Amino acid sequence: MADEGDMEISLDKLPIKRLEIIEESGAERFSSEVEYEKKTVNLIRRIDFAWALERDAKKQKKTKEASAPSTWQGLIENLQLANQELSVIVDLIKLEEARKAELLKAGPPLGTRLVGKLAEEGGGLVVVEANDAVTVAHMNRPKPLPNEALSDLAVSAATKLQSFRHLSKYFKQSAKSLEHQIAREARFYGALIRLQQNWKVKWHRLAANAPGSDGFLIDLSNNAALEQLAVSRAARFSVVRVDHDSSGMLAVNLPESSCRNFRFRFLDAQSGDGAEGFGKHTVEESSKEAKKDSVNDDDLIRETHTILCNAHRAMFYEQVFDLISQESFNPSLGVSVTGIRENYLELSIKPGVSAFISLTPYNEEGQVTDSSDTQDVDESSKGSSLVESEQNMKLLSGQPNYLVYEIYLQQLFHDKIFAKVKDHPTKPGRVQPNQQQNDAVGLVNHFCLSLAHRIFSSKVIMELENLVTKITYLQLISQPTWHSRTSSWVLSVKVPEALLNSKSQGWRSEEVHIKDNKLLFQTRVVVKDECISIEGGGAPNVMGLFKVNPEAMGSKNRFNCDLVDLPMVLLLQIASQIICWLHEEALMVGIKTKRDFLSLSLELEQGETLSLVAHVDSEDELGCISWWLTMDDGCTDERKLQANLPDGESSSRRFLGHLSLEALYSTLMDLVSLCTNGVKS
Amino acid sequence: FGDLEVVLQQNNRHHECRFTSKSKHFIQRLQNVEKRIVRVLEVAGGVMDELANPAGPRKDLLNNHCGEFMQLIKDIQVTLREEIKSACEYRPFDKCDYSARLSSEISCKKL
Repeated sequence: MADEGDMEISLDKLPIKRLEIIEESGAERFSSEVEYEKKTVNLIRRIDFAWALERDAKKQKKTKEASAPSTWQGLIENLQLANQELSVIVDLIKLEEARKAELLKAGPPLGTRLVGKLAEEGGGLVVVEANDAVTVAHMNRPKPLPNEALSDLAVSAATKLQSFRHLSKYFKQSAKSLEHQIAREARFYGALIRLQQNWKVKWHRLAANAPGSDGFLIDLSNNAALEQLAVSRAARFSVVRVDHDSSGMLAVNLPESSCRNFRFRFLDAQSGDGAEGFGKHTVEESSKEAKKDSVNDDDLIRETHTILCNAHRAMFYEQVFDLISQESFNPSLGVSVTGIRENYLELSIKPGVSAFISLTPYNEEGQVTDSSDTQDVDESSKGSSLVESEQNMKLLSGQPNYLVYEIYLQQLFHDKIFAKVKDHPTKPGRVQPNQQQNDAVGLVNHFCLSLAHRIFSSKVIMELENLVTKITYLQLISQPTWHSRTSSWVLSVKVPEALLNSKSQGWRSEEVHIKDNKLLFQTRVVVKDECISIEGGGAPNVMGLFKVNPEAMGSKNRFNCDLVDLPMVLLLQIASQIICWLHEEALMVGIKTKRDFLSLSLELEQGETLSLVAHVDSEDELGCISWWLTMDDGCTDERKLQANLPDGESSSRRFLGHLSLEALYSTLMDLVSLCTNGVKS
Repeated sequence: FGDLEVVLQQNNRHHECRFTSKSKHFIQRLQNVEKRIVRVLEVAGGVMDELANPAGPRKDLLNNHCGEFMQLIKDIQVTLREEIKSACEYRPFDKCDYSARLSSEISCKKL
């Protein structure tokens, strides 16, 4: 460190003022200027816990109150008497002054008499000059007599000692009462600190004057969201006051019925009345528990936490309800309001699907969930989850699950509105209201469309599952699209590996192997917002399917279809794919076959053709694709789909039944060998 | 010590409105300060008692008491100064987790 020269630092003496209050916004308040003595007196008064003492003294008996010693009392009395006599003297002097003109002639004798009289009193001694004018010249302490001096000294010493004792008692009593007060407040502030770790605790000066309260408030509101969306409903209990209860511990009071639960239900669901929300019966439980005597601090704090959690959640529900009701009245949505009551809104999402949202107070649910609730106050969702899982089972049979949509609705609003706002805390509220409103509108719309889509795609998947259960070599894979209004599935044909010739080309790139099978011929079914589209044909690149890369799809055809036609179309597609495969296999072996949409024909000598014809029937219980073997001798046009008639006219048919792929393959090979043998021979 | 009382109560209220990572410690320190103030009062009472002793105050006892008094006052002042300094790092509700709380509740329901 280099020290170059001397650095001089001078400090200005800044005026130091004691801060009285600093507010949250940073503004500082200074106390008004008070005289020094008054200040000290005020401060001493602040540690004067006489009020606490008086309160305690009513409970305990006053044993410590020492009576003032008699000398003290006596001294006071003496002083009072002296004061009285002094006032008498003052009156007398005035009287004398008024008569001074007359007394001038009287002269000294009167004056001395006056002095003598005054001296007798023994109080404040007034020396009256023996002049013509009787005036009060000055006051003197008379020369004290020895015994008087001693007694005076003794009295003053005694009073001093007495005042010391008094002071010491005062200090000790103050110490004790301060200790008591500290213990009480420590409990309160300790609990407040623990609450403050999770909740916003604010201090408001004006609220400090309310009885039983110190001015602490817990602010539950999500301010940023409220400013922008101007939701008025939830302001009712957005600020909770922290009170002192009877033992000085903190207590938070909320009216029980003010917390409401959010519900989303379908109108024609059987579980209409028995449907439980996420029953927050803990509010009632906690009020019961509060009456127990042996509640320790931790339990109290936990209860307060649950109360605050419930209130916070209820606020969120109210906000969501408000937003939804605001937006559903917008006529441009695909949803219309069909009924409205207090805290209840009925919506019709599309013809035939009707739902309602409502806010229900806890009391109703408390009664119903009592039988299943657990005693665990902390995990409040445990108790109700039992009831809900039963209902989930009921609803799995194909009806839309209301729980899912309830949660989805809440999450939508929370993510889009509340979480988004958190990222832009500095943007002024005015700039974004339109966008926020549009977002909210979009949300309800989006939700309703998603709901409609889900209902539709559940029907689609029922059809698909139906197909797959009937046909053994068909496999259904669902592909997650991460979009709430699009779903996609892939149907593929499981071909046993043993049948596949490794040299065949065309569909070998990136196949999927599953248990000695290869999945070929993926047919992709995509549902977008109730519109089905089917892509199939060749065997597309599997990876391309996942990447939704149109170039990688391979040779495909794509078309739309209805729900009613879906199974038929898929069956036709699959059957044609199998025919393709058989055609390829035959080519491998060296036989040229003709391929039609649903049939494969081999030529025998003499112009006869042997055909494998597929027949699809979606209502068939045993398996939807059945095979026929037909023999034709020359006629070319009657090969397709004539399998309805068991007896043909110019072709004889034989029903092969529902064949597995191995059986089909072996049949083909047999036919091939028949052909070649036939040719050879 | 009237002044200290004022500062202490102000400090209490200020601290309540803020969350620091050392919350447990500072509340402990403030508790200690309060205990020291109680002790200060007791010492003052003792001194007064001693002075009121009719046999005359004992000098050594007085000295001890006064020494303890001054030491306590000094400790209190030091602690409070530290706390007030650290109190200036105040950011309102930095770690407010209300939206996180709501989203975790929603996730909990999903379970």
